[in-house]
Amino acid sequence: MIKKYWRWLLILLPVATFLAARFDAPLYSTPVAQVTRVTASASQTETDSNSNEDRLITQRVQARLLNGPGGTIALTNTYTASQALDFPLRVGSQIFVTKIHGQYQLKDDKRDAILLTVAMCLIVLMILVLRRHFWVTLASIVINTAIFLLVVHVDISNQSINAWLIFSGLAIVFTLVTAAFIVGVNRLMLIISGATVAATVLAVALGYAILSLTGYNGVHLETVKYVTQAPQLLFYVQIVVGALGAVLDVAGDIAVSVYPQAIGRRDKFRNGMAVGRAVLGPLIGVLMMIFVAGTFAEAVLWLRNGNAVGQTIEWVMGLGLAQSLISAFGIVLAVPLTSGAMAFVKQVDA
Amino acid sequence: MNAILALGLALLTLLILVQGRYGLVTLISILINLGLMILTVILIAGGFNPVVVSVVVGLMILATTIFMNQAKPDVAGPAFVASLLVMAVFVGLVMLVFYFSQTAGFGNEDGETLEGFSTAIGVSFQQILIATGLMSTLGAIAEAAIAVSAGLATNEIQPGAGQSAMLAEIIGTAINTLFFGFFGGFSALFIWFARLSYSFSQIINNKVFVGELLEVLLAVIAVIMTVPTTAWIVHSRQRRG
Repeated sequence: MIKKYWRWLLILLPVATFLAARFDAPLYSTPVAQVTRVTASASQTETDSNSNEDRLITQRVQARLLNGPGGTIALTNTYTASQALDFPLRVGSQIFVTKIHGQYQLKDDKRDAILLTVAMCLIVLMILVLRRHFWVTLASIVINTAIFLLVVHVDISNQSINAWLIFSGLAIVFTLVTAAFIVGVNRLMLIISGATVAATVLAVALGYAILSLTGYNGVHLETVKYVTQAPQLLFYVQIVVGALGAVLDVAGDIAVSVYPQAIGRRDKFRNGMAVGRAVLGPLIGVLMMIFVAGTFAEAVLWLRNGNAVGQTIEWVMGLGLAQSLISAFGIVLAVPLTSGAMAFVKQVDA
Repeated sequence: MNAILALGLALLTLLILVQGRYGLVTLISILINLGLMILTVILIAGGFNPVVVSVVVGLMILATTIFMNQAKPDVAGPAFVASLLVMAVFVGLVMLVFYFSQTAGFGNEDGETLEGFSTAIGVSFQQILIATGLMSTLGAIAEAAIAVSAGLATNEIQPGAGQSAMLAEIIGTAINTLFFGFFGGFSALFIWFARLSYSFSQIINNKVFVGELLEVLLAVIAVIMTVPTTAWIVHSRQRRG
């Protein structure tokens, strides 16, 4: 019975996760409340210096404390219709609050339930579609995340170790681990990793050379976000980590499709190049769209604040564009490098 | 000389060295997509509804990515149809998730970016977020659809173990591409969290973190949906003729 219907039972997992996160308030030390009643008390129109019209809405909110002393509290929430920095409260919203001078105030939204529920939906979908390949894929993600967190920890706790060295090591470990999950621990894994590392190193070197020669003209390193250390370091770390998956994808595709073919060296190289040529365009597109779409909110903000299109592109998108172009170098370079390595390995085999 | 232009010329050179004349087509397809993304931003800032703009432009981006990168019509056709189906479902999913996530606009960590700007600009950041979620995923949807359609067309694999292994591999590599692609941007934020010793509970409720991670999760969901959808469309076409 269970065996036959276990797939349907999986659907219960996201529901269970959602409910668990909705009732986890006792785990938090900050006061958590659930909104029970909302009345919009005032709404006023405001116009900024660029004659953008927005609405400012004040809500009177009643909420029930879910941890600590419990009981009902009252607070007000003011938000703009455009929601750049604030948000409306709805009945059922769970929020963090703070008590200042005996009066409760909204601190932030509690977002763990939506995050964990979507994550669980993804896991269920992976189980249903990937079946027995699910565990391999999940393990690859979990291990890479763990390595990344470990490296960040080492980076911030050890000022003496060169950060460039730490993150270069991280990139190599990422490559080896991910390649091992794609093809297993064997010679193919070494070829894929070698080609990936070589392509990435060449791409970054070429990018670095071009940026240095042009004096970073039009690329503003000071616009790197969330800077806590040298912005230049973060700029290149983002390129290397960001491009890794796509470069591995190219190298893996070529190696896996050429490896079983019993043909001459020259033909192996030619077939590898053909596979690579077919996949590189869409892959460059994937990275480019991730980089550019991520700047939408800021770009609209710039334009609505009276900046010209050219200026907005340069200051908001310039950095991401440079990064996706250098990543694209890596994707393109991986094609001849992997094809060449595959042609060479046959000779060793024979 | 402008650095971006120099990088672009270098990419063109590499593309021509590897792809020959076709390298020019690849670069033009990238430039068209870039132009369309910039157009999207300009239209949104001009007051058009962000969700409508991103859906309309999204269709154009899917068409350019798929038809300019894949010359064979029996590969490009099913890939395009599958991408459209997935996109239709995905728009709904993104709207639903971002309605509840309260992650529109900017977080406390963005303070420096916002200095000197008026944020009450009369454009819904909630809808810009939906546009971002959709646009950042389209490339991955198109890529996975092409991979499946091309794989099934050339190998003539019958449904069975071989095919499911191939589909799983496509999903696996696509997940890697997305995972690292987003992680690159994440790295600075993670270092920020670690340096300022955010607690775990702070991080999983943080506006910027949750917003970004939801985008990755949704993108991966979209790719996983794309693979069986494309396989199904290819097979139903083969059965018909």
